[in-house]
Amino acid sequence: MNRERPISFNTVPMKERLTIQRQSMPEQDPNIRNCNFLEVNLGLTPAQAVLEAQRCIECKKPTCMDGCPVNIKIPDFIQLICNQDFLGAAQKIKEDNSLPAICGRVCPQESQCEEVCVMGRRFEPVAIGRLERFVADYAMNHGNGAIDLFQKPEPSGQKVAIVGSGPAGLAVASDLAKEGHDVTVFEALHEFGGVLVYGIPEFRLPKSILRKEVATLEAVGVTFVKNFIVGRTMTIQELMNEEDFDAVFLGLGAGLPRFMNIPGENLNGVYSANEFLTRSNLMRGYDFPEWDTPLYRAKHAIIVGGGNTAMDAVRTAKRLGAEEASIVYRRSEEEMPARNEEIHHAKEEGVKFMNLVNPIEFIGDDQGSVVAARCLRMELGEPDESGRRRPVPMQDSEFIMDVDMVVIAVGNGSNPLISQTTPEIETNKWGNIVADEDGRTSMDGVFAGGDIVSGGATVILAMGAGRKAAIAMNQYLKAKVGSFA
Amino acid sequence: MNLKEQFNSMEMNDILLMCIHQEQQAIELYTLAKNQAKHENSRQKFQELIDMETVHKVALQNFEIEHYIDLPPADLKITDYLIEPVLSGNMTAQEIIILAARREGKTAKMYQDLADHFATEKELNTFFQMMADEELRHKHDLETEYENEFLQEG
Repeated sequence: MNRERPISFNTVPMKERLTIQRQSMPEQDPNIRNCNFLEVNLGLTPAQAVLEAQRCIECKKPTCMDGCPVNIKIPDFIQLICNQDFLGAAQKIKEDNSLPAICGRVCPQESQCEEVCVMGRRFEPVAIGRLERFVADYAMNHGNGAIDLFQKPEPSGQKVAIVGSGPAGLAVASDLAKEGHDVTVFEALHEFGGVLVYGIPEFRLPKSILRKEVATLEAVGVTFVKNFIVGRTMTIQELMNEEDFDAVFLGLGAGLPRFMNIPGENLNGVYSANEFLTRSNLMRGYDFPEWDTPLYRAKHAIIVGGGNTAMDAVRTAKRLGAEEASIVYRRSEEEMPARNEEIHHAKEEGVKFMNLVNPIEFIGDDQGSVVAARCLRMELGEPDESGRRRPVPMQDSEFIMDVDMVVIAVGNGSNPLISQTTPEIETNKWGNIVADEDGRTSMDGVFAGGDIVSGGATVILAMGAGRKAAIAMNQYLKAKVGSFA
Repeated sequence: MNLKEQFNSMEMNDILLMCIHQEQQAIELYTLAKNQAKHENSRQKFQELIDMETVHKVALQNFEIEHYIDLPPADLKITDYLIEPVLSGNMTAQEIIILAARREGKTAKMYQDLADHFATEKELNTFFQMMADEELRHKHDLETEYENEFLQEG
């Protein structure tokens, strides 16, 4: 990517930069944190952040930006940290990413910006994610609490509805508000944030962070409406025809839990990861009876799956008091889609990993509660198209283990409500909305992005899709005004 | 009477007719489900299955063996342990794939039994072995699709 190099504020000689160790993030002690829901990572100190920023070797052709789905100007904000201009660094990130405190916590940087960091070829990559989190938190806690996103622009007089307040929706809201459009975000649940609030536990992403990010958007004029189900409370057609919205963005996410379709999945004590995590995260079931939602506290919990959702569920089960909380995964650890950091943290907290094991039945007692899981041992066969070796069952390997809770975390599908109530919007055979690269759907004025289009993916990819759609929506709205004029 | 005993009492032509009937039944079932399906996505999926079964039926009618030359991939057995859904117009994409993969597995078993039954008759043995391999290949494709979509483990 050809661009002007930022002004250098790094005073450390080049050779010395290579000798600075990557700064570790201070964390809660594993044996303490596995009993509470407070955030695990505590964030870099200012001195650590400057030292980490000074590790950057200021490449002539930096590759880090190419690894970021929203192309944050990483070299620029790192130089501002070297200059101890933390608010300036946060402002620089906000030019491209409206949720830096969130992305700094949940983005898989190791497979994005940090994976392509030139330092990483011979040494450890610059800890870009930790730096992003540091400056975003600093900006939230200093000055006016939230940095000024932008000067309020002249109102365009056009109304935009955003369906879903997850990462894609928030990214679109931010970008279109900057253009002066009258933006309203509709959320089906009673809290804003979508998967960020119902899916990600407090110990990984405190809700207070999310609320501050939403408050920042509210401060610049975005309207947020909760408990509003588009497709039930009002259809898309009604929003456009009766409420005069000029364009609609669909960022509903992939919130429909998938089950394995094996016997016993309807027993008491067998949850989808969605239900289990929503009870804990959104409804604060971990605080029962202080809060109203009960949440089963198991002795022997198994979580089926190997992604970040499975790690969130197993670590939640452990914190709720499970004597044994285990991941049951049909491949080996090498093939696990979860972030290495999450696997590492789970192990530190005492989570057991049963890899190359696949449940084929859940067994219940006479009360209809799960008491055991019948499983098969697996072995790895030939690689699939993605290169992951495929598990196949081992002969005569069946065994039964005692469990009193099961959480199924094998993935999510798209909610069929929009496709059922708005047949004009084309969906694919899996029920995902079909949209072009810029998020245009088959219905005029309706755009879509994030998990509802791509299927379950990362927060930053959803934001990237939202930003692309925002550009196309802005062009659409301008053209609409032009055609009226 | 089990399948093997049934084969003993049948002429070759009857066996072929039985196999064609089996494929035709599948076509009719999937057509029924397609016509009852409430969503376009399900209709598309059922049409794919109808097309697949039609290829099998034509192969049996023409008794063509040179069409199939590749060895079948490993049986992933992903759907072997899943609950078999009941065919209906309300089926989800997940249920449709499970049903189809399990049917392919059962039909592969039938053709394998026939291949074993005609072990000493080279042409027949080769033909039924090819048909069994073809069914296993389709089961593999369906299970791969199932794995990619419904076992993301994310």
